[in-house]
Amino acid sequence: MDAEQFMVKSDQELWTRLNMDVERFKNMPPMLTQAYTNIFLNQKNRPKGMSYFNDCVANIHTGRIDELMAAKGEGKPVVGTFCVYVPEELVVAAGGICVGLCGGAQGSIADAEKILPRNICPMVKSAFGFKVGGICPYFQAVDFVYGETTCDAKKKTWELLDAYVPTHVMEIPQRKGARDKALWLEEVKEFKTAVEKVTGNQTGHDEIAGAIRLINDKRRALQRLNTLRHHNPAPISGLDMLLIEQIAFYDEPGRFAGKVNELCDELEKRIKSGSSVAPATTPRIMVSGTPMALPNWKLHNIIEKSGAIVVNEESCIGTRYYKDLIDESSTTVESQLERLTDRYMQIDCSCFTPNNERMSQVVKEYRESGAQGIIDYCLQFCHTYNIEAVKLRQVCEKEGIPFLAIESDYSPEDVGQLQTRIEAFIEQIQG
Amino acid sequence: MKPLLLTEFEKMRDQNLMELTAAHSAGRKVVGTYCLYTPAELIVAAGAIPVSLCGTRQAPISAAEKYLPRNLCPLIKSSFGSAVTDTCPYFYFTDLLVAETTCDGKKKMYEILGKIKPLHLMQLPQTQEGEDSFHYWYREVVRFKSRLEEELGTTISYSGLKSAVQLLNEERQALADLQDVCKHIPSPISGVDLLAVLHLRNFFIDKREAILMLNRLTAELRDMCSAGSSPFRPDAPRILLTGVPVGTGSDKVIRIIEESGGSVVCLESCSAYKKVAPVDESLEPLTAIAKKYLLTPCSCMSPNNGRLELVARLAGEFAVDGIIDLTWQACHTYNLESFTLQQGLQKHHDLPFLQIETDYSEGDSEQLRVRIEAFLEML
Ligand code: SF4
Ligand code: SF4
Repeated sequence: MDAEQFMVKSDQELWTRLNMDVERFKNMPPMLTQAYTNIFLNQKNRPKGMSYFNDCVANIHTGRIDELMAAKGEGKPVVGTFCVYVPEELVVAAGGICVGLCGGAQGSIADAEKILPRNICPMVKSAFGFKVGGICPYFQAVDFVYGETTCDAKKKTWELLDAYVPTHVMEIPQRKGARDKALWLEEVKEFKTAVEKVTGNQTGHDEIAGAIRLINDKRRALQRLNTLRHHNPAPISGLDMLLIEQIAFYDEPGRFAGKVNELCDELEKRIKSGSSVAPATTPRIMVSGTPMALPNWKLHNIIEKSGAIVVNEESCIGTRYYKDLIDESSTTVESQLERLTDRYMQIDCSCFTPNNERMSQVVKEYRESGAQGIIDYCLQFCHTYNIEAVKLRQVCEKEGIPFLAIESDYSPEDVGQLQTRIEAFIEQIQG
Repeated sequence: MKPLLLTEFEKMRDQNLMELTAAHSAGRKVVGTYCLYTPAELIVAAGAIPVSLCGTRQAPISAAEKYLPRNLCPLIKSSFGSAVTDTCPYFYFTDLLVAETTCDGKKKMYEILGKIKPLHLMQLPQTQEGEDSFHYWYREVVRFKSRLEEELGTTISYSGLKSAVQLLNEERQALADLQDVCKHIPSPISGVDLLAVLHLRNFFIDKREAILMLNRLTAELRDMCSAGSSPFRPDAPRILLTGVPVGTGSDKVIRIIEESGGSVVCLESCSAYKKVAPVDESLEPLTAIAKKYLLTPCSCMSPNNGRLELVARLAGEFAVDGIIDLTWQACHTYNLESFTLQQGLQKHHDLPFLQIETDYSEGDSEQLRVRIEAFLEML
């Protein structure tokens, strides 16, 4: 698609129906259009298959919302989540739609700070601000949101969010023993019940089996894509990969998986023909740490504008979301839920203590992606990732992996400073 | 106008350390704790000495910042700093550390601390609601019991547990009685002195002796009330301080309030009033212990309605004029809960409320003084 053609669409009538602050929100699409054009559409030799994902961005405030509203009209549940620990399979099994509501924009933070403290994670503030300001169509469309007790900032924010939108909370334990699993399984069942309340029906084995397969397919497609992007020279940019990973949280899963697989076919051809987005000598960087919610492209943008390429995201927005699958062979609902819980308990988020699995996972992904250095990304005030970076640094030192820890928020203020540090890091890994 | 017994408490500082050294050489075990959720009864029943290692001083913070991120709460950095520099004699003597997954910063700090000394981590549920939560926590209490037995080479008997419950309940009663004296108008003791006593009590090796001294101090304070003796004028604004844990060394805000003419009559914090709820002696002890500790109204719980109830009740009982909510910098749970607390209090009581966010350093003292003076004037 040409840069001139691309436009994030508007639909003021729809937004009015959703009871949004339309006057304010109407500035959002043009802003996004501009940011997206600058950051994405000017990249060189982009794969053709990216055009679907361009469309996803163009329809982010309109077409996809229409789909959510249509599903709602048919009595299907639409559930908002903030975390890869909440099992979307159970929403899909009930015929519904699960959307990630994590905030990635600076624009809503001032709204949040009227209520929330300033010095907490920008992702939490951004999301909360979107609801309070009435400037996120997804927040307006959901039947309810399902929070979790993964971190201090989130769990205490849910107490406040409940005043604006019905908010249920899943208690996530902080360890992975047998008793933790038992506790978690109960929470999973409660989630299932909450979703079923919307439909008025119980979801049975076949529906759950179908949903597990569907979401597994989506995760498999992302795994396949991630393996292909590891190729050197890279057939796709880190920015585009990040975008796809972000879209995974709100697009229709079946269609999404199909389009990702089509893109993979194209990348395979590219690899064969030697077509790439950057020469093989380009410094390769892996990003680890905290998630990047749409439209948070700040770090990738800085890295790739500085002449390096991002080859892996060890993050909730990256591999943590798709590296594990659910066993598909269960014959009863009970065992489906148990295996689902098993799968979710493998996610190695820093909210767990200890979280040693993550250390070896990072090293493994580093090796597999052919990266030359790791930039550990910590959203400001996220204590768990910030402290875990201390351990990660030790591991990387031992393994001889160049390591840079950065802490940042959504404001543009530190871009210059980050750029300087990242450029120095790139020089260092080039040797 | 200070109570005479205060100097005796001060003197105990050195004596306690001597006693600890002696007890340690005699083979007594010492268990270090960081939090009100630690079931101290089990430690006492195991024949060990519990000591609180929660950092309240600024000095070790710079050492901690060599390892940990800077923007953590000062309490975490201070605790870690005194461990890593080995400057805390109490830490030095501990055989086992006990910690809980109360907040993000602490739970991840403990991973690193656990490399310095054996550390037992209790997994605390994040809600007090529901049977599942209770059972989960009950099993954690049992697991702690086994770890203590194993680590200290002893068995904790039913009767031992029963008498530990009684002993600590007695201590709680003594602590409650002491703090209740401040309901008198004007309070016979300053908040700074009260906190010093509560802090020093942590390090008593002999619980009986602590109870005795606390009771004597309470009696002396009651006499002072009858004699009309107090460091405050009767019309000094009465303040309830809620929020994060405070201790000697991190009492900056209490000092400033009282230097500005206020009287801190009630501390709803871990070392003070939050601590006094007893263990139910009529129940099987492990169940009773698990119940009591889980109900501790800390902001790490979600929801944490217990804290609002407690603050509201204490505000009435202590006839306070205003509430100051203290948040350590980078403590997300207390920081976020401040909003809920203020709203809740406003709904039921029309009490002036001020949130203060600070750390252990003196850098912002003057600025705080200005805000606190303005608040007191308004009362
Ligand atoms: S990045 Fe950290 S602070 Fe932010 S939501 Fe995730 S775990 Fe919580
Ligand atoms: S004050 Fe807050 S951040 Fe600090 S240890 Fe306590 S709960 Fe954690």
